[in-house]
Amino acid sequence: MPSPLHHSEDRCADASQVANELKRTPQTWAEVVGLRDLTVRFNVGAGGSFLAVDRASLSLYAGEFVSLVGPSGCGKTTILNLLAGLLPSPPEGEVHVLGNFPTAGNPDIAYMLARDSLLPWRTALGNASYGMEIRGLPKAEREEKARTLLQRVGLGDFANHYPKALSHGMRQRCALARTFALESTVLLMDEPFGALDAQTKLQLEDVLMDLWSANQRTVVFVTHDLAEAVALCDRIIVMGARPGRIIADVAIDLPRPRHVRALQKDPKFHDYYARLWSLLEQGMDSHDR
Amino acid sequence: MIAKAWSAIVAHVACIAGFIALWEFCSSRGLLDPTFFGRPSGIIAFLWKGFFVDGKLWLEFGYTLLGAAMSFTAGSLAAVAVGLVFMMLPRVHRAAEPYLTLLNAMPRIALAPLFLLWFGLGLGSKVAVGFSLTFFIVLSATVAGIRSVNSDHLVLSKTLGATQGQVFFKVTLPSAIPVIFSGLRLGLIFALLGVVGAELIAAEHGLGQTLAYLQSTFSMDGVMGLLLLLALFGLSITTVMNGLERSFLDWQ
Repeated sequence: MPSPLHHSEDRCADASQVANELKRTPQTWAEVVGLRDLTVRFNVGAGGSFLAVDRASLSLYAGEFVSLVGPSGCGKTTILNLLAGLLPSPPEGEVHVLGNFPTAGNPDIAYMLARDSLLPWRTALGNASYGMEIRGLPKAEREEKARTLLQRVGLGDFANHYPKALSHGMRQRCALARTFALESTVLLMDEPFGALDAQTKLQLEDVLMDLWSANQRTVVFVTHDLAEAVALCDRIIVMGARPGRIIADVAIDLPRPRHVRALQKDPKFHDYYARLWSLLEQGMDSHDR
Repeated sequence: MIAKAWSAIVAHVACIAGFIALWEFCSSRGLLDPTFFGRPSGIIAFLWKGFFVDGKLWLEFGYTLLGAAMSFTAGSLAAVAVGLVFMMLPRVHRAAEPYLTLLNAMPRIALAPLFLLWFGLGLGSKVAVGFSLTFFIVLSATVAGIRSVNSDHLVLSKTLGATQGQVFFKVTLPSAIPVIFSGLRLGLIFALLGVVGAELIAAEHGLGQTLAYLQSTFSMDGVMGLLLLLALFGLSITTVMNGLERSFLDWQ
């Protein structure tokens, strides 16, 4: 199994640079998100419990784009919800985001759901500003920022459109603008493109790469699409199901900046895909046997 | 497009004119007894006289209108307020629900004799009946509206660190408003129904009272005229409410 600290030199340089920009103290930039022997159980009634995540350990560093992949029931969404502070009860083991136990509403964290969750009574501009509005930014500042981001995601001409007038892809672009408008260091994304058709998905992945490379945050990206994970990530955490556990941590050494559509023709991309696919299958086999 | 709209209007006018002409013709030839059905010319003469010659209908219309407006305002304000209390205190909601269901299941117009005794022959009893109808309709719409909030919006707001007040004003209330609005539209029609219904039973003034009087004196032109008036009034309420909905809730 590759070590979690499987980084090339220049990635580390990148990470420290980002961390300096973020004005974090050295102890915290070293590890932005940490899990130590994390175990999550859910009560299923009648005193029974279900083991959702079994002794998972993981370190994520500043500016890393990391994907959690695995079959359904492997605990990837559970880990994401834990980091977002959305789990009903505290887990066993240790977990921190920038040194603190994760809680909902932590300004260090921005969460993007699988569905766009745009507010239908707000225009694209109003939706792109929503997160900043809740976090108390002044009106002029958040509007300017929202306009800039709408421009960046290709919705510049749709600022005053209501969501009903936008396609699925455009709505998810707007949700990206809302997420990236926040200053949060850590972005949690729960299959944000899962409901899109293949073409739109590739376009949105490029938009995401563009936004992320301009301002490298630490991204935890949950997906069950291996191609998407390889195209976007620095590292892929492969998880197995029942109980949910980490089975592999694979560094993706493809050059950046990446163009997701161009990558589709790159043989290295397909090598990674094949390797990850066999890892995933091992995870499933060990369970099915 | 415009030509199509015009031709539709012309078709409507032609149908209505044809219907009125046929009615008038049958009445004048004795095929339809005007004692039971009235006749269009008599209806027009009645309304003309009532509004523009002796002007007596204005007063009756005014009473009904005032009663409906008061029942609607009081009923919908109370209902929205109670709905919000239910949202904030779910236990109160659960405790109150069976009683509300029981009250709502009661045919409200049957309460009119009781309200007449309690609140007298004047506006009070009319408003009480109108209120009892409007309140439950708007209350159930408010509760349904608040329940219809999208859980994704709540999760998103929670992760952003929204306070309860922010969640309420920025998410729950705006998402409940369309449903509450449908409730208000129905509530207004039912406020009118309650008031006219109570007036029919006993009143000093109002269109319902006039209707009952005209019916007992076999003035069918008058009865038909008032029914027409009520129908047109109900239609204009609905039209105005639809217009308001389109302009305020254009995001739907």
